Amino acid sequence: MDWAGWAVFGLIATAALTAVMIAAQLAGLTRLDLPLLLGSVFTGDPDRARVAGFFAHLVVGQGFALGYTAAFALWGRATWWLGMVLGAVHVSVALGAVVPLLAGVHPRLASGRAGPASRATLEPPGLLGLNYGVQTPVGAVVAHLVYGLALGLALGAR
Amino acid sequence: MTATASGPGPAPAADGGGAPIADHALIGDTRTAALVASDGSLDWMCLPHFDGEPVFGSLVGGTAAGKFRAGPLRRSPVASRRYRPSTATLETTWTTDQGRLTLTEGMVAELGRYLLPETLVVRRLAAADGPVDVEVDLAPRLGESHRPPVFRHRREGVVLTWGSLALALQSDPVLPPGSGDAATSWRVRVEPGRPLTLVLSTADRQPLVHVDPERAWESLRDDEERWRRWCGHIDTAGIEPRYRAPLVRSLLTLRLLTYSPSGAPVAAPTTSLPEDPGGVRNWDYRFAWPRDASIGIGAFLGVGHVDEARHFLAWLLHASRLARPRLPVLLTLHGRYPRPEHELRGWPGYRSSRPVRVGNGAADQHQLDGYGWVVDAAWLLTRAGVRLDGETWRAVRGFVDEVARRWREPDAGIWEVRDDAAHHVHSKLMAWLALDRGLRIARRRGVPERRRRGWVAEREAIAAEVRTRGFDAGLGAYVRSYGSTELDAAVLVLPLLGLEPPGSPRTRGTIDAIRSRLGAGGPFLYRYPPGSDGLPGGEGAFLPCSFWLVQALAASGRRPEAAELFDELLAWAGPLGLYPEEADPSSGELLGNHPQALTHAAMVQATLALRDSNGLEGSPP
Repeated sequence: MDWAGWAVFGLIATAALTAVMIAAQLAGLTRLDLPLLLGSVFTGDPDRARVAGFFAHLVVGQGFALGYTAAFALWGRATWWLGMVLGAVHVSVALGAVVPLLAGVHPRLASGRAGPASRATLEPPGLLGLNYGVQTPVGAVVAHLVYGLALGLALGAR
Repeated sequence: MTATASGPGPAPAADGGGAPIADHALIGDTRTAALVASDGSLDWMCLPHFDGEPVFGSLVGGTAAGKFRAGPLRRSPVASRRYRPSTATLETTWTTDQGRLTLTEGMVAELGRYLLPETLVVRRLAAADGPVDVEVDLAPRLGESHRPPVFRHRREGVVLTWGSLALALQSDPVLPPGSGDAATSWRVRVEPGRPLTLVLSTADRQPLVHVDPERAWESLRDDEERWRRWCGHIDTAGIEPRYRAPLVRSLLTLRLLTYSPSGAPVAAPTTSLPEDPGGVRNWDYRFAWPRDASIGIGAFLGVGHVDEARHFLAWLLHASRLARPRLPVLLTLHGRYPRPEHELRGWPGYRSSRPVRVGNGAADQHQLDGYGWVVDAAWLLTRAGVRLDGETWRAVRGFVDEVARRWREPDAGIWEVRDDAAHHVHSKLMAWLALDRGLRIARRRGVPERRRRGWVAEREAIAAEVRTRGFDAGLGAYVRSYGSTELDAAVLVLPLLGLEPPGSPRTRGTIDAIRSRLGAGGPFLYRYPPGSDGLPGGEGAFLPCSFWLVQALAASGRRPEAAELFDELLAWAGPLGLYPEEADPSSGELLGNHPQALTHAAMVQATLALRDSNGLEGSPP
């Protein structure tokens, strides 16, 4: 298990994933704002939420990088394409299961069941995040493939 | 109760014109809504949301499009019909030759953490003065092709499915199983003291939740209590007592038309209710217009419901994100670009008003006025002490920049007339408003000096151009578009903006000219000269314009005239206090999609204008 590689390259891969998602957002491809989505778990102030969410995302990304690094260690090798395979699995689970389930635990994310008393302010992402724009899954897939690619390449080179 | 399964009962007219538009009451849960006629026929409901496919569509699709009737077996006069005060629960009482029959119905809006279906319609029939024979006819049909469901009678009740979409009807007492064509139609006798409770549950790509009828009834009563609390928070201080109940009904209707999962205000829950019966002016309003959201912000802020106002702005900025800095004309409830406009084949339309359309072609237009409404709404929130977060202020700045860049271009204007790009005066006024309110917000939030100077310069340029090219000295009024001598009732916003003093001769001249030249008789106004939009046929008077006239009169120091007009307008509301978009000025028949959020928001704004003009008679602010 490459602990030093995990610590450094996990951070870099997460930064790359975040950059792709923010670029997709700025390019008008999606309304998914990952830092806001994560940070609004802690605070209702959108400006503070984005800061908190950015760091939360780094932590989460580092956690997932642990899984990738462990998988590479079990396989005994790390390659760019293995990283992308893991990225594909990762994004499938994230879009297909985690994102739709978020509304059940996120205090400021409305659900499809929201009623007049709902004080949640964020729209639910829906299956595959499609409520945030039809190109949201594309952006998310590309971002996670980049994440896996970065980890596979960097850890494979050591 | 005694019951026999039987064939279908009396049907409304095949062209879907069984009941007047205003005869339809709204019940809803803030995720979808249904329209119910006074004979107990639920004639319109889409699933799973406002903009989904109709499962009960007889309102515009004829009997083949489905309905859910619960009412007296034989046609009987309605003794009374009302919403329970400050609730969304509808109560209809018929006098039959056997006794009185009351249908109490609603949809459960607040599901909380309970295992309840996303849409739950509860209807209870109760008899008094003797047993009454009733008819229950459940005939849903899905979508454009009127797909019939697969029917099963289970222990819990009747289950109707179309693949992943399902409906279940449960009742107490239990309705007996039927068969064949009569499988979902019953004639039963309701005894006094033993009401019949019907519960319609829906499930879309989820397991059906069977709800015990007594539990569903309790949920509806709990909801009533929540609505009463919600209405109790409406600030009616300073509002004349006779205006309070209509005001509350309008606000409650606006809330029922707000899609809770995203906060989007749906313009109306229906499609293709005609502006001209038998004509082609039939549009799909099951979308959210940023303009309506902005007007709604003012309406809710004015009565102290700040959360609703904030949510509207949050939705608006979230939903418009993909198009920024352009402001979309309209969006789906989840902020997507609407599907292309499409005509439903074989749908007869309401009183033969064809085509029945889904989707809305206005989505592709450039409408400059929308920016003004949105930035003004942001200013109203700022003025009320709500701090715009960084992202919101960034978006608002972007809209103001867009106006500064594009105000010299012709646009489609507020009325969305197809193929009519022009220099609309109302659009220019609203562009001025966007820049002016942007500058006001900038005073609190800060903006680079160069940008501020740019906004000031463009604002002054608009004012100068509108004053010269948008004003007709002969008429003494601002006109519809540059060089035109036609008038536009949307220009009634003039005294509310600050571009012209409310008491100036130009403002007074514009109000009076619009009132006399676009007056349609009584309190009604046409939005522009009838027949000037290139479509065949005529159209009714546009109700929001009449409420804007009330606002304009009140704001320009003519309160008695405003109050008199407002009283007349209240008298023309539907029997349940609901307004669609238009009215036939000769008969008073209410027309267009129903109920209409814009009309109700304008009604609220007019009430607030009357409140705010108390004591200002003859002294324009």
